[in-house]
Amino acid sequence: MEILVTSSARRPGRPTRSPRHPRDRGLAVRARGVAASLLCLVVLAGCTGKGDDSAAGSTAPASPIVTGPLCEVLPTGTEPGNPASLTGEPVDVALQWITVLTAFEAAVRASGLATDLRGMEGLTILAPTDDAFLRKFSAANWDELILSRPDDLRALLRAHLIDGAHSLADLVTAGNITTLDGTEATVAADGAMARIAGDAQTLCVDYRATNARIHVIDKVLGDLPTTAHEDDHIGH
Amino acid sequence: MLHRRPAAIALAALLVATVSVVASPTAASADPLTRVPALNAAEPNQVQGLKVTQGYGFATLAWTHVDGATDYQIERTPVDADDVPTGNSVITGLWRPNRQVNNESPTFADAGFNPGLRFQWRVRARIGTAEQPYSTPVSGTTQGSWGNPDAPGESLRTQWETTQGAQYTSDVNEYAYTAAIDELSDRMRVVEIGRTILNRPINMMVFGHPTPPATPEAIAATSPVLINCNVHGNEPGDREACLILARQLAFSQDPGTIDVLTNSTVLIVPTINGDGRAANTRGNNAGQDLNRDYSLVRQPETLAFVKMLQEYRPVAGYDGHEYGNSGTGDLPMLPPRHQNVAREIFDESMNMIEGHMYEQGATDGWWACPYGCTGASVGLGEETILRNTLGLKNVVNSLLELRSSGGATRPDEGNTSNNRRRKGYSALWTFTQFLDYHRANHSAIRQARGEAIKLQSGNTGRIVFRGSHEVPAHPAPHPGETPPPVDAPRQELILDNAPCAYRLTEEQYNGERTDGAVGHRTTVAQRLAAHGWRVVKVGDGYFVPLTQPERGLIPLLLDGTGVERLVAGERVYPTVTGRHNGPLRVSGFTCVSGANVNGPVNVQPGAALVASGSSFNGPITAAGSAGLFMSGNTVHGPIQVANVTDAVSLINNRVNGPVNLVGNRAGGNAPFVAANTVQGPLNCAQNTRVPTNLELSNSVAGPRSGQCAGL
Repeated sequence: MEILVTSSARRPGRPTRSPRHPRDRGLAVRARGVAASLLCLVVLAGCTGKGDDSAAGSTAPASPIVTGPLCEVLPTGTEPGNPASLTGEPVDVALQWITVLTAFEAAVRASGLATDLRGMEGLTILAPTDDAFLRKFSAANWDELILSRPDDLRALLRAHLIDGAHSLADLVTAGNITTLDGTEATVAADGAMARIAGDAQTLCVDYRATNARIHVIDKVLGDLPTTAHEDDHIGH
Repeated sequence: MLHRRPAAIALAALLVATVSVVASPTAASADPLTRVPALNAAEPNQVQGLKVTQGYGFATLAWTHVDGATDYQIERTPVDADDVPTGNSVITGLWRPNRQVNNESPTFADAGFNPGLRFQWRVRARIGTAEQPYSTPVSGTTQGSWGNPDAPGESLRTQWETTQGAQYTSDVNEYAYTAAIDELSDRMRVVEIGRTILNRPINMMVFGHPTPPATPEAIAATSPVLINCNVHGNEPGDREACLILARQLAFSQDPGTIDVLTNSTVLIVPTINGDGRAANTRGNNAGQDLNRDYSLVRQPETLAFVKMLQEYRPVAGYDGHEYGNSGTGDLPMLPPRHQNVAREIFDESMNMIEGHMYEQGATDGWWACPYGCTGASVGLGEETILRNTLGLKNVVNSLLELRSSGGATRPDEGNTSNNRRRKGYSALWTFTQFLDYHRANHSAIRQARGEAIKLQSGNTGRIVFRGSHEVPAHPAPHPGETPPPVDAPRQELILDNAPCAYRLTEEQYNGERTDGAVGHRTTVAQRLAAHGWRVVKVGDGYFVPLTQPERGLIPLLLDGTGVERLVAGERVYPTVTGRHNGPLRVSGFTCVSGANVNGPVNVQPGAALVASGSSFNGPITAAGSAGLFMSGNTVHGPIQVANVTDAVSLINNRVNGPVNLVGNRAGGNAPFVAANTVQGPLNCAQNTRVPTNLELSNSVAGPRSGQCAGL
């Protein structure tokens, strides 16, 4: 079922600008250049803060419409982080406001890919929720990926990136996608939502950021092994 | 059996507004914003007497129990000033009888909303699954974020607050926010206690009224209270509570707050794991789970933390976490349980949790429960976990978990911001209650700590390398279904005959280590020093006596049987026991235990004496010695300690005669002079550091003079 999260008029007619780029302009090549700068070498204060002065706020214009069953429990209306307020934000900043994407957002930062993502002329992100990451990786495995396996982490992220900014409707029309890790996957309509690669369900789609679309999904893609069961009893 | 003292509510009153809205079919509220319902006859099984009291970030609903009710549903509806609904009614809460002690008087802390909004609440019972009629609605305006937006300081807000929970407070924002409080309030200062691997400052906020004491030693003298807010970077809820609490402590004129800060000092470490918080990882930048490192202190963060503990000597603590078990209570808690934790510390921690938190939780509607709570096998005796490390350092304390998800009892928390706010404000409630508990029970906590230090320093009783004190089930009705696992020690992890000391070789003590973060590795010597343990070098050996306040922790790190040991030291046993007549001339490293010595004792230059549970008839003299440790002895004669190089410790002795400490370097540490009874004068002069009594004053018949004038 489609859920309208704002009362503003729907603007379905807005064309999605999605210039196609040759795959060899993908992230793999450019990522190497920034690898050395991934670590947050802080001297006095950390480098992660965007402060509370980010542009995303309550003064946003009429909201574009994100759809999906999860949208209504994410910041909506005029709340900080509402979809309309993110449309002018760089994609890595927009990710910081989508409250179910803290793991994915941290991974983007840790991978050093944020600059590359900003530089793309069009980008689509299939972003798994925090719950999806919890179902996929143990805490120890996730820490290891973030802290000491940058190549695997980037490969994992590329499995969730598509060249060009595509609405979900465009993806469904195309019927299949190739993620930046080179994997091909199907996109099948499922009511107003879609299933990707068979069993990844979209939950809240068509967030817009500068040059980008973000679709929240419920499953981690890519070919890393599932390790979540390894710390069932982790405590404290 | 645990005694349960009545809990005072002082600071907590700050958080609970007096504008509670009461409505019932027969009583009209004085609140003009309250809709007064018509006088209707109650329907069968309809909830009666619903009362809503506003807390900070939550609203406590209380109602009259319906006979036969299985559970209750709490419904919340946003309303405008005229109580006209402005949104959908949502079931936000499910009350079950396992929530609270006195569950015949049900309460529920409804939370998750943005502070300051206005709502209407209704409650209905269910019998089996059959829904009964809703109560008459009660409406009220919730408390807004604390602090006058037009008053300097009070107007500060964190990133988490300004984004309504959409973002957690970043490192940069934390530093700016706490620096601003420091700048604007005399009551608070920020102290940097260390740096993370990535060189982020690890700050501690120190609060006192009218201003916190100037030095760590002066703060220690107030028996301070400690909150550690965020060790796992991906469990940030408690940290937000700490930052909000900081603003209240710094600026509130509430008498309860001022009383707390006048009575003692509040220490808050918002982010011990700044790198992990920034990266949203559980561990630090080396991938080490810091809450498995507080004893071993391989990492710079934990090393800095135990150094701080040594210097500031908090007597009570809380350690904040989040917990992924969706079936557990709102606020799982657990005392330090390692069996080497002194019984007094365990009991007082249990009293804090069960006597205070369970009781106050039942009053305010928060579901505190034993960690595990609904059957999970968690909460054991690993000394690497701060809860246990603190207990072994004689600190009354508890783990605090915030249930990560809403779970069955809070069905409206699919909304991330609602979920984050419930967690954050439940932690704020807990920490506020904790400060009230500390204030109300300060002398009992100090008493427990004092007994524990005396017991530990006496080095009596067996040593357990791994295993827990049993946490018995709270008498029914109790919150949660199960206590944590018994976790009794295995036989091979019990040492009945405790040694007097551990001897480490040069290589063991000063040799390079391979554990710890690259570039931040420390030696055993550095780590023991961070813990504050006293060590003496005699000959080519480094001796760590067990006659020290942290006796329960020492073997866990230095014995070959230690499950997570630092090094396998050599056990050293007493050589003087039973009766000894004639002079005792101590050369080398000598332990005297359970002995009766008739004659003068002379500790030779370069030698060390460790004496416990013994009786001495004659003077004790140590001049130019390496060390003197005396615990739980009776001495008929003077004690003269001069120019001792490595360590001096006199704890819980009875001395008939003068005690004189002069010119001791004592390894650059403060000599311990604590809990002694001295029939004679006590004089200290020209010691490198002023001796400390560890907040256990000595009973001295003669004058106290020099550096010991205040002991």
